[in-house]
Amino acid sequence: MPRSLKLAAPLVALALLTGCASGGVPSSTGAKLASDAAVSGQITVWSWDVAAVALKRLASTYTKEHPGTTINVVDIGYDNAYDKMSVGLQASSGLPDVITVETDHMPAYIHQFPKSFTDLTPLIGADKDKFDPSKVSASSNAQGQLLSMPWDSGTVALYVRTDYFKAAGVDPSKLATWDDLIAAGVKVKAATGHALISTDLSTGSLFQMLLQQQGQGIFTADGTINLTSDAAVKALTLIKTMNDKGLLDNVKGWDGRVTATKNGKSAVMPEAVWWIGTLTGEMPELANKFTVVPLPAFTAGGTQTSNDGGSTLAIPTQAKNPQLAGSFVKFMLANTDNQVSMMKNEGLFPSYLPALNAPLFHEPQAYFGGEKVYELFAAQTPKIPSITYTSDNAKAGDIVANAVAASVLNNQDPAAALKSAADQIATATGRKLAQ
Amino acid sequence: MTSTLLRPSGRPSRRSSAGADGPARARSGARRRRPGYWFVLPAVALFVIFFLYPLLSSLWQSFFSTTGGESTWVGAAQYLRLFHDPLVAESLFNAGLILVIQVPLMVCIALGLAYLLNQSWLRFRVGFRTVHFLPAVTTLVAYSLVFRVMLATDGGAANQILGMVGIAPVDWLNNEIWARVALIASITWRWTGYNMVIILAGLQGIPGELYEAARIDGAGRWAIFSKIVIPQLRPVILFSSITSTIGALQLFDENFILTGGGPNNATLTPVLYLYKVGFQQFDFGYASAIAWLLVAIIAVVSVVQFVIMKEKK
Amino acid sequence: MTQTLKRLPVYLILLIGSVLSIIPFLWMIISSTHTTAALFATPLPFLPGGELWNNLARLQQETNFAQVMLNSLVVAVIYTVFSSVVSAMCGYGLAKFRFRGRGLVLGAVLLTMMIPMQVLLVPLFQMMASLGWINSYQALIVPFLANAFGIFLMRQAFLDFPDSLIESARIDGAGELKTFYRIVLPVARPQLAALLIYTFISQWNSFIWPLLMLNTEDKYTLPVALNTMIGLSRVDYSGLMLGSLLATLPLLLVFILFQKQFVSGLMGGAVKG
Repeated sequence: MPRSLKLAAPLVALALLTGCASGGVPSSTGAKLASDAAVSGQITVWSWDVAAVALKRLASTYTKEHPGTTINVVDIGYDNAYDKMSVGLQASSGLPDVITVETDHMPAYIHQFPKSFTDLTPLIGADKDKFDPSKVSASSNAQGQLLSMPWDSGTVALYVRTDYFKAAGVDPSKLATWDDLIAAGVKVKAATGHALISTDLSTGSLFQMLLQQQGQGIFTADGTINLTSDAAVKALTLIKTMNDKGLLDNVKGWDGRVTATKNGKSAVMPEAVWWIGTLTGEMPELANKFTVVPLPAFTAGGTQTSNDGGSTLAIPTQAKNPQLAGSFVKFMLANTDNQVSMMKNEGLFPSYLPALNAPLFHEPQAYFGGEKVYELFAAQTPKIPSITYTSDNAKAGDIVANAVAASVLNNQDPAAALKSAADQIATATGRKLAQ
Repeated sequence: MTSTLLRPSGRPSRRSSAGADGPARARSGARRRRPGYWFVLPAVALFVIFFLYPLLSSLWQSFFSTTGGESTWVGAAQYLRLFHDPLVAESLFNAGLILVIQVPLMVCIALGLAYLLNQSWLRFRVGFRTVHFLPAVTTLVAYSLVFRVMLATDGGAANQILGMVGIAPVDWLNNEIWARVALIASITWRWTGYNMVIILAGLQGIPGELYEAARIDGAGRWAIFSKIVIPQLRPVILFSSITSTIGALQLFDENFILTGGGPNNATLTPVLYLYKVGFQQFDFGYASAIAWLLVAIIAVVSVVQFVIMKEKK
Repeated sequence: MTQTLKRLPVYLILLIGSVLSIIPFLWMIISSTHTTAALFATPLPFLPGGELWNNLARLQQETNFAQVMLNSLVVAVIYTVFSSVVSAMCGYGLAKFRFRGRGLVLGAVLLTMMIPMQVLLVPLFQMMASLGWINSYQALIVPFLANAFGIFLMRQAFLDFPDSLIESARIDGAGELKTFYRIVLPVARPQLAALLIYTFISQWNSFIWPLLMLNTEDKYTLPVALNTMIGLSRVDYSGLMLGSLLATLPLLLVFILFQKQFVSGLMGGAVKG
């Protein structure tokens, strides 16, 4: 036997013996966190973007108040953050003490790695009710344990170009229903030539936003596929109608939407509160051209908001210093002053409801001509409908996005497109269609 | 210059040679063998530890299905699933499309460019070479952002240029057909220069005497090209073809960043699909099954390619 | 005169190829010198702006770019040297020696080329975790030292090498390693240069694996650091383009340096079959 193979054989045998089976043994449900335990040592936190900035700032405050502790905040960027975290969860090692996970990603992680997150309920106890309920539900498992703490909300409202509406003779504050908005859109187009909404159809996010506004998600609470419901058909029909009337501007990606807004391609943008950061940062020249109003309802008097985005902080069970991690997470998020400071400094809209009473949210905002826009978002946040995500949301989201494009761009009947998508999801996930 | 790819080597001699010096060269058989082991040993050891083990692990995992954090043995179920999954078929079709269109296109362009660059009278050779090589050297992140900006439907550079010659703007990244075109164009842009450099290396290894002899025999430019250059370049062209083929069948980076597999899976390739299955749906078993299917296909295609190029001799 | 005319199409073709190759870089240069906001405006700017120093300062501040550049250099150089040695040796062994299992080794090399790396990520990650190599440079370098493309390339190069020269070296009493190093390797200089270039570039631009392995900002390599500039609701386009441009320069340098080796390959014609 050639020498090289002779060396190889025992190594291979060893590898097989040590078990090359799937990811290592998931650890137990993690440390039992105490609400006010003594803390020491150090932790590492992963985040991105402005969230990392906020963490760094508050970490230095925390360590001043708790001598003997060190907090390392690492910016891992957003683009591939989940790949990094997924591998670490799968391998049961390699993760830091605290990770940032967006709300809509949490259900999939909870489902797939049920034993990999530490229960945070002992940290805050009854205070759980003080958070945006739609986020608490997304961050909790079936047993009601809170596996990540809500951070910021993606409360949605409608940003309106006042100059376009003025030219069309429409009053933005009188948009009670989506039908009103479409009628307004037609007038705006006639008067200014501009479209109504710029969106990237290929992501399907507009559809999901409209669906959540009606209190539904792609899946029902018991995990069946919800796409054939009236609400789903209504949402897709709305988008299709807009496109048929020439009111939709289909762009590509984040950059596409930013460019379109900067160039004033369309009259409104239904988007979350964090869009304000983009407006003030990238388009300072558009100051005083916008107003913010609640989303038009589907039926008069219905819900006028939805959710897009927002993150949470979680403590993996493999964390080396869970006690310090828990204390810091509580300090950051279940704390009015700190949440308000994050709004002020980093534009992160708190999902901790008590924070929304702070004076900051009642201040006039110069960019919006002195409007108290944060009051509006604050009022809407508790009303965000909770929906069920399930672990198949990513898979289903892709299929749904294709259906949206097929219906809107290729003129397929919305109900038919959604039924086809539902069937595809059923095949891909093994779930059943809702009755 | 025969390459024995899969032919078994001869029987080992029972004598072991003492050392590498000394006048008794009759043991050329054994002598030829043992140093061979030493030369390949580092690579083999590394291969076994860092490749074989994870590979076997992934093979092992392909017999499991993972949901809710629990892995259950399902035998060959994940492999059977491959045949019912329309996305597997679609991704293979897309990969095949790229293989059949992009690879020959690129290798021919690279060959042509290398040949032109090899002309002895050419000036600014270093400049041309460097410029053509630039695309291969860009970081992925930058290249994808730049292309996304350039291919933007509204106001992107590509459509602006088209507009200058009176062509209507193309919805590059949102239209299924054009997205594929854009993908093929961007891959070609990125890798042609790189292949050109490798083929150029081969060209410059062709001894000058061969050209001289042919010219003395009165051979014309085309005859020299087809009877001397191409045959001499065979190993290099083969290398370029096989690596480009494998690159096309394993395409991931470009479409991952440029289109994310869309629109409507028009640019979904097998590796991108298995990545999504593994990292977004956490079904590593199925991802492994897809990978192994791909390996089988690549192996077959590579062998076919190898045999064809050998036959042409 | 006709000679010039005949040569003109050649220059034209090369010029077109050059322009096509370079256009995206022109955009990168332009983007590096404006603010991000300016890059979203219509019409797009097509002349460089004056923001170069600001962007550079911000780049350095946000990512410690100088350190990151150094990291990439260290990792790429170490990897290139060791990997090329491994590849050259293995390619030589496979090309010039007949031994039992040679087919197997060659098949294994080709197999590694056919396996998509993405499927090995998780088991390899676990291995690194159990070795304690997470967030280390060993993890970036060691697992991939045996590089199939490199081995394949060098094997193809050595197949051409006339056995007669090796035999005569043996007859003269030279050891195998000496023969390899003194006689065979220099002749394969063009391919070796291509190998060095290819290896250096692929390690410099290596993205997914360092992304998963490196967890502290002081260890980041260029692609990872640049990618962290893609945030959730903000992308620092101008900084990113500038960083990418700067990241490209060392690669260009390596390429230009080793291009000269190609020329000496012409001299390789001295070896007669």
